[in-house]
Amino acid sequence: MQTLDFLMAGFASAFQIGAFLTVIVGLLVGVIAGALPGISFVNAMAMALPFTYAMDVTHAMLFLGGIYVGGVFGGSISAIMINVPGTPASLPATWDGYPMTKRGEVKRALTIAVTASAVGGLVSALMLTFLSAPFATFAMKFSQPEFFAATVLGLVSVIAIAKDKPIITMISLLAGMAIGTVGVDPLYGQARFSFGIPEVESGIRFVVVMIGLFAIGEVVDLVATDRDLRPKKADGKVAGAGFRDIWGVKGAILRGTGLGCIIGVIPGAGATPGAVIAYGVEKQINPRGKEFGTGIDAGLAAPEAAKNATTGAAMVPLLTLGIPGSAATAIMLAAMMLQGVNPGPLLFIMDPSMVYTIFAAMIIANILMIGAGVGVAQIFSTLMRTPPAILAGFIVILSLIGAYGVRNNIFDVHVCLVFGVIGWAMKRVGFPSAPMVLGVILGPLAERYFLTAVANSRQDYTVFFTRPISATILFLALIFVLWSLWPSVSARLPRKASDAGPKEQS
Amino acid sequence: MADKPRADTTSLNDPDSVSAADHQGMAIRLIPVAVPAVLLIGSLLLPSFMFSSDRRPDVPGLGPAAWPRMVLILLGLCSAIWLLSEMRVLLKGRFSRSLAAPHDEDVYHYGKAVIGIGLTILFGWALPYVGFPIACSAFLLIWCLYGGIRNPLTLFLVPTIGTVGLLWMFMGLALMPLSRGVGMFDRFSVGLLQILGIY
Repeated sequence: MQTLDFLMAGFASAFQIGAFLTVIVGLLVGVIAGALPGISFVNAMAMALPFTYAMDVTHAMLFLGGIYVGGVFGGSISAIMINVPGTPASLPATWDGYPMTKRGEVKRALTIAVTASAVGGLVSALMLTFLSAPFATFAMKFSQPEFFAATVLGLVSVIAIAKDKPIITMISLLAGMAIGTVGVDPLYGQARFSFGIPEVESGIRFVVVMIGLFAIGEVVDLVATDRDLRPKKADGKVAGAGFRDIWGVKGAILRGTGLGCIIGVIPGAGATPGAVIAYGVEKQINPRGKEFGTGIDAGLAAPEAAKNATTGAAMVPLLTLGIPGSAATAIMLAAMMLQGVNPGPLLFIMDPSMVYTIFAAMIIANILMIGAGVGVAQIFSTLMRTPPAILAGFIVILSLIGAYGVRNNIFDVHVCLVFGVIGWAMKRVGFPSAPMVLGVILGPLAERYFLTAVANSRQDYTVFFTRPISATILFLALIFVLWSLWPSVSARLPRKASDAGPKEQS
Repeated sequence: MADKPRADTTSLNDPDSVSAADHQGMAIRLIPVAVPAVLLIGSLLLPSFMFSSDRRPDVPGLGPAAWPRMVLILLGLCSAIWLLSEMRVLLKGRFSRSLAAPHDEDVYHYGKAVIGIGLTILFGWALPYVGFPIACSAFLLIWCLYGGIRNPLTLFLVPTIGTVGLLWMFMGLALMPLSRGVGMFDRFSVGLLQILGIY
């Protein structure tokens, strides 16, 4: 009952004109940015960060939450209309969405996509609302060893997601953690890796690293690939989707939503694995699975529902534990920390009105997304006529302002540029950059929890294994590591004679 | 600098071209070996540069060096594993698949990308000296030219409206203390901000 009371109060706050407009503006910015190839919702959130400096923490979160929800869906507009996914998570939308456009069913594809996304996002926002408080109550039992174990789980699950390149992903993560050690250490106040430069002693901020890695390289690629963003005309007549069409894919939407909610909670996962896994599962389960890729409704609906279902789910570990599981939630964490708010279980006691206003806003944003998505799809053709060079120029400036705004310090701009070059090079050689960002964020957290836990237990290193919750989480982390390494190990194991026989003959 | 699309391939009948292609192929082969090698060397060398002074804190148990050292050891270990596997691939004369450029674009102008990065770095470097208003408008103008825009009206309107809009948003509304530059650039920025009613 208390949750419902708080939620009603949250709705009352979210429906105040200022807050409501903030959500709508965020939503529109997100859908537009997501729809434009080359600008992912993470870029849009990073660029929007300096705007939040002038807001209070609630409005900042409403704005970023709107961009997050809108941006995750927005990528599907360009995927369906021009076969160019606006964000990586929208890739599955090209497989069945674009064939529908080619058949002249663009309106139908967009209606299915936006409805599935809205349902997925709404269910996930409700899950966030009703599960976060009990989870936060449980998290109140956490002490430093448990927080360390949860951070370790977050770190290793990043490796588990990247099953094809576990060593390279781990190197990227560890490099990020090494960058996170630059500056004054959390316990003794000793500067590390400062090389005598005073600005370095205050450390390298993860927001700056993130903007550099994600935005600069992406912008350069936008211009260097001569990408033509203008929509191409599809043949055939325009046909919409009715209630019967949506009802026909209810199973796919629900399965996608369920998978998205589960995958979203895992730190390090996010919209892209959620959408791809949901597509794969739906292909196996659906009776028309073999036809997937030719413009099948369920093949579009399942990943769309899954990717938006990850949005609310990804905020559960952020708000209850203060651990961001993705780049998008890391930006939200940055916005909160810049306003002097530290997310975690105590936030639910200290400022429940803010927490439930965010929940209410997420629910509202997912409902409003249907209108925003359809509206943006209508004006999308006009937007795409903007030359990529102009778009890219503004992205560079907004990104550098974002880096400058973290501490109003030109040093951060220079650091951002360095990571911009590194990010571009990493992208060119296919070296994953997302684990590095998570390493920069989670590394210092893990260090602080580890050192304080050891210090509090009088240098007893078994403290992480003797406490039941901590030990359970670490056991889960171990399973994640083994699961991620198993494909590489099994590929090197000697094959059975029966398996090897026919191959040798051929 | 002439742009060279990535999709361009040299003729295999031309001996010079074959040689150039071989060199390029060798360079591509060496990247997956060079990256872990650099990371391994870095992880071995960095611990000795951890503290800039000789003073070490005298603390019981784990000191401030413990965590970074642990991270660097793990980084070195993973880099060594990667390096060994890449060396094995290289010695067998095969192509490594561990690092590969994205295949989502048909053409990639490396020259254009390098110029773009150079312009971005120049903008970030010039910002504190010439101030945000001049740096922003100059950057937008040059970036538009670099992006192939030649329409004089667009070249005038994008930097002008863009700079004024950004100044209003960030210095006017968000009250961010963006750089005004030094000397005459500072005086120019202040004058411009006064005209716009921001300062």
